[in-house]
Amino acid sequence: MTGYILRRLAQLLPVTLLASLAIWAMIYAVPGGPVGAMVGENATPEQIQAVTERLGLDRPVLVQYGAWLGKALQGDLGLSLQNRQPVMELILERVPATVQLGIAAILIGLLIGVPIAILSALHPGSRLDRALSAWSALALGIPTFWLGILLILLFAVELRWLPSASTYVSIFESPGRAIMSLLMPAFTLGVYVSGIFARFLRASLIGELHADYVRTARAKGLPERDVVGRHVLRNALLPFITIVGLMLASFIGGALVTEAVFTYPGLGRLLIQAISTRDYPLIQGAILFILVIYVVINLLVDVAYAWVDPRIEYG
Amino acid sequence: MAEPLLSIRGLEVTFRGAGRPVPAVRGIDLDVAADEVLGIVGESGSGKSVTSLAMTGLLPGTAEVRGSIRIGGVEVTGAAPEVLRHMRGRDVGMIFQDPTTSLNPVLPIGRQVTEGQVAHGLLRTAEAPGRAVELLAEVDIPDPAGRALQFPHQFSGGMRQRAVIAMAMAGRPRLIIADEPTTALDVTVQAQVLALLRRRQAATGAAVILITHDLGVIAETADRVAVMYAGKIVEAAPVAEIFARPRHPYTVGLLKSLPRLDQEARRLVPIQGQPPTPGAIPSGCSFHPRCPIGAARERCRSEEPVLRAAGPSGVAACHFTHEVEALLAATPEANAAVSTPRAAPAEPLLVVDGLRVHFPIRRGLLRRQTGLVRAVDGVSLEVRAGETLGLVGESGCGKTTTGRAIMGLIKASGGSITFAGQDITRLDAAGLRAVRRHVQYVFQDPYASLNPIRTVEEIVAEPLHIHGVYDAMGGAGRVARLFDLVGLSRTMLGRYPREFSGGQRQRVGIARALALEPRLLILDEPVAALDVSIQAQTVNLLMDLQAELGLAYLFIAHDLSVVRHISDRVAVMYLGRIVEEGTRDELYARPVHPYTQSLLSAVPVPEPGVSGRRIVLEGDIPNPASPPSGCAFHPRCYRATARCAEEAPAFVPYPGLATRVACHHAGPLTADELPAAPAANEALA
Repeated sequence: MTGYILRRLAQLLPVTLLASLAIWAMIYAVPGGPVGAMVGENATPEQIQAVTERLGLDRPVLVQYGAWLGKALQGDLGLSLQNRQPVMELILERVPATVQLGIAAILIGLLIGVPIAILSALHPGSRLDRALSAWSALALGIPTFWLGILLILLFAVELRWLPSASTYVSIFESPGRAIMSLLMPAFTLGVYVSGIFARFLRASLIGELHADYVRTARAKGLPERDVVGRHVLRNALLPFITIVGLMLASFIGGALVTEAVFTYPGLGRLLIQAISTRDYPLIQGAILFILVIYVVINLLVDVAYAWVDPRIEYG
Repeated sequence: MAEPLLSIRGLEVTFRGAGRPVPAVRGIDLDVAADEVLGIVGESGSGKSVTSLAMTGLLPGTAEVRGSIRIGGVEVTGAAPEVLRHMRGRDVGMIFQDPTTSLNPVLPIGRQVTEGQVAHGLLRTAEAPGRAVELLAEVDIPDPAGRALQFPHQFSGGMRQRAVIAMAMAGRPRLIIADEPTTALDVTVQAQVLALLRRRQAATGAAVILITHDLGVIAETADRVAVMYAGKIVEAAPVAEIFARPRHPYTVGLLKSLPRLDQEARRLVPIQGQPPTPGAIPSGCSFHPRCPIGAARERCRSEEPVLRAAGPSGVAACHFTHEVEALLAATPEANAAVSTPRAAPAEPLLVVDGLRVHFPIRRGLLRRQTGLVRAVDGVSLEVRAGETLGLVGESGCGKTTTGRAIMGLIKASGGSITFAGQDITRLDAAGLRAVRRHVQYVFQDPYASLNPIRTVEEIVAEPLHIHGVYDAMGGAGRVARLFDLVGLSRTMLGRYPREFSGGQRQRVGIARALALEPRLLILDEPVAALDVSIQAQTVNLLMDLQAELGLAYLFIAHDLSVVRHISDRVAVMYLGRIVEEGTRDELYARPVHPYTQSLLSAVPVPEPGVSGRRIVLEGDIPNPASPPSGCAFHPRCYRATARCAEEAPAFVPYPGLATRVACHHAGPLTADELPAAPAANEALA
């Protein structure tokens, strides 16, 4: 098991390195390069010269990358241009909020999507199936900013049940308030992702329902709820793990629009702020951090597979 | 007599989908008594599996069932789902065809064996694990306590089917329905599983319905036989009667189209045409378009015959039952090609010498090579121009890998492959391509090996385009002539594979292989996926083509009867090596390797009462990643001595025969090696 995880990590290393190179090189694509980005458009040549030397930008490119990567590995992603705080600190500040929102959104998505998938897979082609498929299409089709605004209008402005701007409250400190502030942004994301979950799981379930082992289970005289619950669902959930993992990674990587609509203090909003103020070290740091999140969640998905499916060996 | 255990009257099953209703079963009557084995024979689409699913209420919702099915006095048709569920697993146990797919891959075997009983409230959850071990022990699974916790992928095919049998028997059902229970298994494993099934049936006194296309299995196992065609029973009789004096032309057709191990070479007599699809059943007698008696008769075309008493205790549905006997005696036209051993030409076309194909096993962080799968481990064979070499063996023995290595589709790890005097293992890509013009491959599965989005004309023309000789070899005219050659109508050229039946698709595959005028065809199980009557048509076509075009065949198959029918010489493979090779007649009449002897003895012969004496090999084929020491066959061999475990035997000529064999103790089978007939029956009971 440990060996398996180590091997998977070793396989991910080249990908991560390559991506980090691209992220680092990004700053050279900016007009004026990294120095231009720091000093602005109206800087004098002397200022530019001074900053170039201070940042070591006169060194060979690979040396610069090596220095940046070396620091990044130690958790030093540089200072934010805006407020001179360490980038790493700024990111870590936002992580709990983002993780909390991501997990809440996934849970709501599963809560809506899985029952829809099961109901429509058990009666494919029926009116119920068509109605539920329409829900999935709607869930995927509604832009999240629009649904978010509608929710705010209804629950915050009209009914005044929920706060319009979400703040981060840890679920471990004050569960009630945390849920209140999470409800709308998590629901907005959850609705969207429930459409994806319902579609994938429905297709996977329909495939499994035609499998021979299902006929065997019925021939044993198992009640239908055991046939579906014990036999079909377990097999259908295997490919589904990948989708759930990917969606979780994408939410933690930043639910940009939703966080903006609800002014939720997550990683997504941090990234948007960084982009709008051209805070390049912060952009680089945030993207690198998101990359690492993707890699780690993918690894967790693979480990979960090997754990759930007895046919996969930790070879 | 009391009411039979199972009684079916006027059963009709119609599928109502989006289009026209499709009748799958069109009115059948059946009775099965306790302790009786009823065999149901039929080709695909005859309605035999639908009948079995109707008995247990497992048909999909689109099926409409009419008539009466009574099991143990309880009416099944129209019963509430809960009543049917209580019947399944308790009164009726089912065994399905493919044990690989019929077990759930993510649940432990032991749990799958007992969960039905738990669901029925016949077993407490706490007692289930112990009961699972008992049940697995009853079906001879070694180390049942350890095995009960394992998953299906850790079982071999034969063990999986034993587990399925244990599952079906768990509730001591009064009726067992076995749908093609051994079709997916190798012949030596089939023998084990059939013996087990008979033993458990005898122990429980259950009634058995055995559904199969294999007349050999029926002859050995069934007490009574029902033959189904186009959704109806066309003949039913005790097993001895139906094989000795069939009363329906279709039964005669099935028997005559079957290549047999126990008969001298004769041309197979296929049934003409295709089995009807359930949506388009001919008028009158549904068999009349294919029937030698009824094809031209007005009565057969217009009037549907009913089942009438025929023979001492059978029934048949034919207007002209009295003419069937003459049909059975009729011999096929004499001028047709029959496989007779030919005088060998001096020059072999293909010489394979010491061929090895090893696949590395990689493990660990750095993917270090930790072992080798010796898929092919020193195979030597020769195919001469115009002759057929049959390569037989059970699954996993390396026969397909050998074929693919000869084709250059897999790289050889060692040894040489010489085609027409040229060593092709040393050729570069261009050289290999030039050789491939002369060596072509026909694949097993005619459904998967044709590209579904291209017309058959494009499929057959593709090799011509690849080699840039489309115009040079006659273009569209060449493709049309290939269609004539394999017996397909030119009007079908523009159609897509899905519009063809299995037999027709295999003809397309053969036409594609012949497009480049090859000298050698590698035929990898070309008839294994086809129905008996279609199989005979294809085998005859292959033999005619060989006679006409002077082709050499390497015929790879697991079916010893088909191999015997088509081959001039035969090589038997076991675990990556050839253990015995000889002329067809010598090898089948006087096998000297114990493995060949057991293989031949395991084949069920379609002749009731003939095969009582049988060597049933223990265990399964070992894993080629860790083959046994010395002779790879020694752990399963009845002649094995200490020497066999240490020293691998050389592949050398056997004195007095034109046979080569790899065995320290080669020699004809002696009387005391065969279990005596009564003893065998005792072992089976």
